Amino acid sequence: MIRHDVVVVGAGCAGMRAAIEAKRRGVDVAVVSKLHPTRSHSGAAEGGINAALGNATEDSPESHTFDTVKGSDYLGDQDAIEIMCHEAPGDIYELEHMGAIFSRSDDGRLAQRPFGAAGAPRTVYSADITGNVLIHVLFEQLVKHEVKVYEEFHCTQIVVDDGRCAGVLAWDLVRGGIHAIEASQVILATGGVGRMYYGTTNAYACTGDGMSLAWRAGVPLKDMEFMQFHPTTLKSNGVLITEGCRGEGGYLRNSLGERFMAIDAPNAMELASRDVVSRAEWKEIADGRGVDGCVLLDLTHLGPKKIKTRLPGSRELALDYAGVDPIHEPIPVRPGAHYHMGGVDVDIWGETIIPGLWAAGEAACVSVHGANRLGGNSLMETITFGRRAGQAAGDRVRSNGDSGARIEASVVADERRRIAALLGAEGGERPAVLREEMAKTMYDKAGVFRTESALTEARAAVHALRDRARNLQLEDRGSLFNSDLVQALELEAMLECADCLVTGALARQESRGAHSRLDYTERDDDRWMKHTLCWHDGGEVRLDYKPVTVTKYQPLARSY
Amino acid sequence: MAIENAHLTTLQGAYDVELMEVTLRVRRYAGEGSRPETRSYTVEVATTATLLDALDVVKDKLDGTLAYRKSCRMAVCGSCGMRMDGGAVLACKTAMKPFVDAGHVVTVSPMGNLPVIKDLVVDMAPFWQKVHAVKPFLDTGGVDDPETEWRVTPRQSALIAKESLCIMCGCCVSECNSMDSDPDFLGPAALAKAYRFVGDVRDGDARERLKELSGAHGIWDCTRCYFCNQRCPKGVDPRDAIAKLGGEAFREGIARDEGAKHAKVFVQSTYKGGYLRETELVPKTIGPIAAIQQLPFAFQLARAGKVPNPLAPHKAKDNAEVKRLWKLLEAQAPKHRERATRAPEGA
Repeated sequence: MIRHDVVVVGAGCAGMRAAIEAKRRGVDVAVVSKLHPTRSHSGAAEGGINAALGNATEDSPESHTFDTVKGSDYLGDQDAIEIMCHEAPGDIYELEHMGAIFSRSDDGRLAQRPFGAAGAPRTVYSADITGNVLIHVLFEQLVKHEVKVYEEFHCTQIVVDDGRCAGVLAWDLVRGGIHAIEASQVILATGGVGRMYYGTTNAYACTGDGMSLAWRAGVPLKDMEFMQFHPTTLKSNGVLITEGCRGEGGYLRNSLGERFMAIDAPNAMELASRDVVSRAEWKEIADGRGVDGCVLLDLTHLGPKKIKTRLPGSRELALDYAGVDPIHEPIPVRPGAHYHMGGVDVDIWGETIIPGLWAAGEAACVSVHGANRLGGNSLMETITFGRRAGQAAGDRVRSNGDSGARIEASVVADERRRIAALLGAEGGERPAVLREEMAKTMYDKAGVFRTESALTEARAAVHALRDRARNLQLEDRGSLFNSDLVQALELEAMLECADCLVTGALARQESRGAHSRLDYTERDDDRWMKHTLCWHDGGEVRLDYKPVTVTKYQPLARSY
Repeated sequence: MAIENAHLTTLQGAYDVELMEVTLRVRRYAGEGSRPETRSYTVEVATTATLLDALDVVKDKLDGTLAYRKSCRMAVCGSCGMRMDGGAVLACKTAMKPFVDAGHVVTVSPMGNLPVIKDLVVDMAPFWQKVHAVKPFLDTGGVDDPETEWRVTPRQSALIAKESLCIMCGCCVSECNSMDSDPDFLGPAALAKAYRFVGDVRDGDARERLKELSGAHGIWDCTRCYFCNQRCPKGVDPRDAIAKLGGEAFREGIARDEGAKHAKVFVQSTYKGGYLRETELVPKTIGPIAAIQQLPFAFQLARAGKVPNPLAPHKAKDNAEVKRLWKLLEAQAPKHRERATRAPEGA
């Protein structure tokens, strides 16, 4: 049996930041990740990370707090938002001291760029590869701190012993086999679940594993109905074309060549907030004014020089994945699932209701993003709340020592039997078939616009898929690098998250942030200014609610 | 509740794509004890499909046992390095349409210079061991961090801009000729990573790093074949990073290695005569005694007509131009390493 004081599951920005902080407290830390750490999806983040440094113009953590509260459509917990916005500057300086290669202003300070719905240029960045720079600097620190990494280990279960977290079980993807990894403290940092949607900016690895594991272990998932759609993603593979294209003056046009943003956002036009632009695009396409299921992101009037110098990454992506050169032709784009505001319900230190089980980053819901996340706040959340979870979990080990919770041999044996049964099953369906049906169901019926009837259909379809997923057949029955098996496990996780999402969405009879109901078009603070909790109840989703924490800011109408 | 615009929930034409048929020849290997074989697969894919998309269709529809790594599918995570027609590519950055249009069937195989685990999956452990070996983290050399950020100008930051693009996919290592003959050679990825710190004005350990890197299997063992630059999917140009490490090593006076001495002879010889005096090259690189031991080889070369007459004058007609260029380059080269600064007092 392997044993560590702290085990972090997932090795993106939140997971690595947590591991580093726990290790600094002198305790034994290991990371378990289904990917090599630098392969994690945090690395795909382009735009930047928000902190009120005030390097560009005057700014303050209070202003950052207010923008985030308002952006969340008043569903964010204000105590958590205050923590993030006040601790962000220190966390950024620390990343810089670790060696992060950020873009600089002429005086050598960290440059800051303006981002949507922010009161000041607040976004620290590294050209259009901010996530890549962060993932590599955190990996460097992981090496420096000699943190043990179980690489390409897919977590299959969180083990709870007598109400306390006892560790995890994980499948070794490379060599095969289930391993028990005991730990007094387990931190989930497994990222989001964008892959449940057909159109998504998310990596193949974003399959909601940690959320599903926590849910099955008895932790509620919070605000799962809130999935942010990014307005400019490629049809071919969902890859994101940065907001910077519109920031540099790009237009959105329909099939008639009209700049349709004039209807919904005559002032902000293409630079309105993400949910507004996504809804406007979706309307154009659904009303038949799209081009092959897309609208057109037109940069041609910007000229070759500007495109080549300011937007080289976007041009490359358009050439590689849409086969168009934006210098000469518009890029077909459409909304795609981008960021999941919901996740594992945790407190402001990242702890769940199970002692010793924590979560941070996109897998968690603290909640700082509420119903809608602002650009640049997700990377900041991974760093600040990743650090806090690592700090608190490390301190817990130092003060309480070994929790005493253990993984029983019978639990391991049961899991080995479950995996063996899955590997040996005959006569079932291929996971890929179910995965595609799920992704289309979610994109068609639980997308940017929702109705009771569409969500009811989606829920029935997801339930049917969950039933069918009990009878899968894998082609690869071996133990060596069996990605067929991992994809089947990922499918189960996504279906559970999808069930939570549609169930929560069906119940929430209002429109708030990313959750837009055609049959309940207004925000309803009296009935719905509360967090949705999805509990595991015999495999089904049971809904419950809890209040939003309000400190200073009473809800106001959200307009930009 | 009846809603007028209920049709808005679903996008029209969301899944309509133009399709094409693509055939792939894939090197399959089921692990130790089995024999590699090449299998052909023909699938329908979107005309925008990449090599990775095509492999996904093969795995989903034809053969679930096919193993390869993937994650971001947008050329940033570095998972899907593999060889296509014998050269390393990122599968997710390689469009299939040009090959289909040309009627060419591509052959896909695992990356080179790394042990194969299964099909297109290689063991990256040797790759990471080398990255770990270059002390891949910032070391200010015992200097305390400032209260806020280090001051680093855009010009200073640009010194390591290319190296910061590296995604550690291994495509350069796959094609590295030096590593092919010396598996212990640190290789292009680890050396580019090393330069990322040597060239970082916040790092205070450059001299020690350069000493380490100048040893056996280090910067001077690169054969300068430039395959790494050619195959890098991100424009890191690892060979250029290795050259920059060499330059830094010279500046620090760390030039005991034969490779460094070899490079020095080129510089001195061209300065003196405008040409490379090849007869000086060997003794000055490896020393007179070792050079005498190489005499039989030299005679062999001479018999084959590969040795210029050592006594003939070997000088360019107008050497002044060469000297001017040489001095210009010397004047442009910074004399000492710059360091990051702190915020001015009271700022």
